[in-house]
Amino acid sequence: MPFLASTEQFEGPLDLMLHLIRENKLDIFDLDMSILCDEYLAYLKHMEDLRLEVESEYLVELATLIEYKSKRLLPKKDDGLEGKYEEDPRDALVRRLLEYQKYKEVSDILYEAYEDRSLQMAKPMSEEKELASDQDDEYYDGNIQDLYKAMNRVLRRLQLQKPIATRYTQKEISIDDRLLVIRAKLKDLPDIFTFEDLVDDCKVKEEVIVTFLAVLDLIKENVLDFKVDDSDEIYLKRSIG
Amino acid sequence: MIIEEVMNREMDEKEKWLFDHTPSQVTKVKKISDLKGPKDEMAITEGLLYIVGEDGIKVEQIAMALDIDYDKASSILKDIQKKYAKEEYGIELVDYGGYYKFLTKKEIHPYAQRLLDLTKTNSLSQSALETLAIIAYKQPVTRIEIEDLRGVGSDMMLRKLLARDLIREAGRSEAPGRPILYEVTETFMDSFKLESLSDLPELPEHTSDEESESLFSE
Repeated sequence: MPFLASTEQFEGPLDLMLHLIRENKLDIFDLDMSILCDEYLAYLKHMEDLRLEVESEYLVELATLIEYKSKRLLPKKDDGLEGKYEEDPRDALVRRLLEYQKYKEVSDILYEAYEDRSLQMAKPMSEEKELASDQDDEYYDGNIQDLYKAMNRVLRRLQLQKPIATRYTQKEISIDDRLLVIRAKLKDLPDIFTFEDLVDDCKVKEEVIVTFLAVLDLIKENVLDFKVDDSDEIYLKRSIG
Repeated sequence: MIIEEVMNREMDEKEKWLFDHTPSQVTKVKKISDLKGPKDEMAITEGLLYIVGEDGIKVEQIAMALDIDYDKASSILKDIQKKYAKEEYGIELVDYGGYYKFLTKKEIHPYAQRLLDLTKTNSLSQSALETLAIIAYKQPVTRIEIEDLRGVGSDMMLRKLLARDLIREAGRSEAPGRPILYEVTETFMDSFKLESLSDLPELPEHTSDEESESLFSE
């Protein structure tokens, strides 16, 4: 068996077909599908011989080529419809090949510009400063883990404030009730405030938890934005609009 | 002028404190108004261009910083561009994708190579180039359209290009399934030395007499 290994890399079935058309000096505008099909099949077989994986895209196009070839072998049944409503598969293939070739050619020109540009260098920005036009937006972009960590900190502090002797009393606090209190508080608070500002009137852990749940509700409703800083402080900001 | 006015009056305690503690503001106002001649505008713009470096700067930003109108800012930038195009300068002012920035001229590169270990990085594969070309000419475009044209799956390639900030998502198409649309970014424009998309080389046309004949033959 002759050694036909080609080192050329093809970007896909269309690329391969263009290569075969060139190799066999076929006229793309009057494409001999039969030769193209044979060559294409031979190439894929060869790839398999070399134990190269033939990607499915190549097989799809092969199926189209073989279908076309086999149809040509069958006696043509003239029902007066053929070719009128469907684009000739050969024309369709040629159109695709030409379209693909355009982008392939132009990408070579683009590559020259790319190579050129890579010879030119710039300095980084003098200081890592935000440009004047875009401010403040990305500030409030904490994630849920941050909130969780910050909540732990509030609870720890509450633990320290608690008198050592405690009595247990059961008191139901609903989120809805707490929401009303918070909404009222919001009116007196500045635009940006901390979670602790909201819980300064809470005496038991349950109240803090309910407040936290209420804040989660408000964040979900887009009433508040939040941010957590390095010291686990939760900052809340009234959303605009 | 501002300083003189303040000095000529008796200052009360509060004013005095303010005066002592806001020298930078006073001088800032003074300097900017003093510096604005036609030559200075070019110098200021040059300075700003130097500061922003590879990030580049838009005409609007120059206009805002110098408090001049858009056309004025644009013509200042063009003047600087002309100035640095001369052979005696080793850097040039480029305008890629709407951002002006200083770059070393490519003639410098061989010498830079002697000085620094410039190993080639960030080269683009043929399939990356093809995909980029299709997006640049057809944008906004969906993945399916790209794949139809290339004849191969392009999901991974799109992800790579997104990661390199050469393309970005541009909303969704109205087609069934509302597929994501893609377009090229300013980074793409910079990487391919394009001022705008209209600077793209023209797509080659492959026509043949036979083809146009076949259109009429039936």
